Amino acid sequence: MEKIISKSEKETQDIGFKLAKDLKGGEIIALTGNLGSGKTIFTKGLARGLRVKKIITSPTFVLMKVYKIEGSKIENFVHVDAYRLKTERNLKEIGLFDWLGKENSVVVIEWAEKVKKILPKTVIEIKIKLGKEETERYFFIK
Amino acid sequence: MNNKKITILGIETSCDETAASILEVVNDKLKIVSNVVSSQVKIHAQYGGIVPEVAARHHAENIISVLEVALKELGIRNWELEIKKNIDAIAVTSGPGLITSLLIGVEAAKTLAFLTNKPLIPANHLIGHIYANWLLPIGISTKSKIQNLKQFFPAVCLVVSGGHTELVLMRNFENFKKIGQTLDDAAGECFDKVAKILGLGYPGGPSVAYEATKIKNNPPVGGEKIKNIGLPRPMINSKDFNFSFSGLKTAVLYKVQNLGFKIKNLKPQFCAEFQQAVIDVLINKTINAAKRFKVKSIILGGGVVANQELRKQTEEMVREKAPKTQLLIPELKYTTDNAAMIAVAGYFKLMKTPRSAWLKKFDWQRIKVDPNLEI
Repeated sequence: MEKIISKSEKETQDIGFKLAKDLKGGEIIALTGNLGSGKTIFTKGLARGLRVKKIITSPTFVLMKVYKIEGSKIENFVHVDAYRLKTERNLKEIGLFDWLGKENSVVVIEWAEKVKKILPKTVIEIKIKLGKEETERYFFIK
Repeated sequence: MNNKKITILGIETSCDETAASILEVVNDKLKIVSNVVSSQVKIHAQYGGIVPEVAARHHAENIISVLEVALKELGIRNWELEIKKNIDAIAVTSGPGLITSLLIGVEAAKTLAFLTNKPLIPANHLIGHIYANWLLPIGISTKSKIQNLKQFFPAVCLVVSGGHTELVLMRNFENFKKIGQTLDDAAGECFDKVAKILGLGYPGGPSVAYEATKIKNNPPVGGEKIKNIGLPRPMINSKDFNFSFSGLKTAVLYKVQNLGFKIKNLKPQFCAEFQQAVIDVLINKTINAAKRFKVKSIILGGGVVANQELRKQTEEMVREKAPKTQLLIPELKYTTDNAAMIAVAGYFKLMKTPRSAWLKKFDWQRIKVDPNLEI
């Protein structure tokens, strides 16, 4: 397990940006952390690192947003928010399995603790914890 | 060609309201004949938010009876024969929304279009919310020919709901361009999350607004922060037309955590200050956009526009800061999801196409659901 400290929103974005450079396609990233811990900020950095051009907005309302990436081996960036879900089955209904583990897609799941039963063992787990300062965050990556 | 009556059946199931409506257009004047909405909000309240599978199941259970009630206003009982005779086209929300919910409405619409050999028009839900401004109460026709209403344009539209917060430049009834949007959470979503933090009910919009009215003796003043709470107005002075509400939600969370049990007596103050922070940002950005693009009107649309303070304060601020600009706010019942606005969206699309080409252009087999559809 790797621990990274972020001191600001920008550093949180950079952690996502850097992680994106190691991705090859097919990865599933499970994000956990409280409301306001920076999951969406991290995801914005990750998307930028994958060369997603559109603005990444909260997928809470529609549960899943799919962004196309042009000119890249990773063609789809899939952003899921499990915050409102009752059961893992809900993810199947919104069509997540069209993307999960596909070589041309990277899937990020916020509030992943709510759906951990369906996630494969190879998932990249990222836990975000609030630090001592108001803008400080600890990232634990497994 | 507009002298002839055109009748459109609208269908909407993008989220948690099952809706159907009949729009009659005579000589380019709009009249809503029926507007039926079956809301599931009470069902989802017990889950603290919309559960997709539950929403879809209720849409499937309700869609036929909602259609029955809407069509009855035209005396339609035998669908196959009488829709063929009395309806010119069907319009359905194809996105954005929850995919499982959208599919029910679209599949019902496709089935009807196939059965009756009618054009099926896909409508953008967000554009529907803008058109809601031209909806009058049931049975009343618009006075002017709608396509002659050039005096409103160009216009800046603020579309603000649980899933979206966008500023749109509208040059005429068919030309829309997004000029700004939220970079993270939608305003309505922020209301839901703050309501959850404060232990108030779902949906957050009405519950936060109600809580805020409890401090009537000490009401907040626009732009002024309530003593001791002082929430941020994110991006209020940024030069662009984007919004950000995620940090506002986090600010509420931290303040509540710091207060501990003392929050119990401060909930009305928190709600008023939070609501005011959202309103300040929305109004300020909208008026700035109106000035920058030198528009003739400001148009509001979407579920958050049901908020009374937002309606009232927008009127005051437009009068004060942009007195020459017209302000359009939909009737309360048309701010939330309905199918009348979808039927109107269908009408404008239909008018761009000659009647002889309707069936080919609006072929039901070509309709695709797009949960992330944009303006």
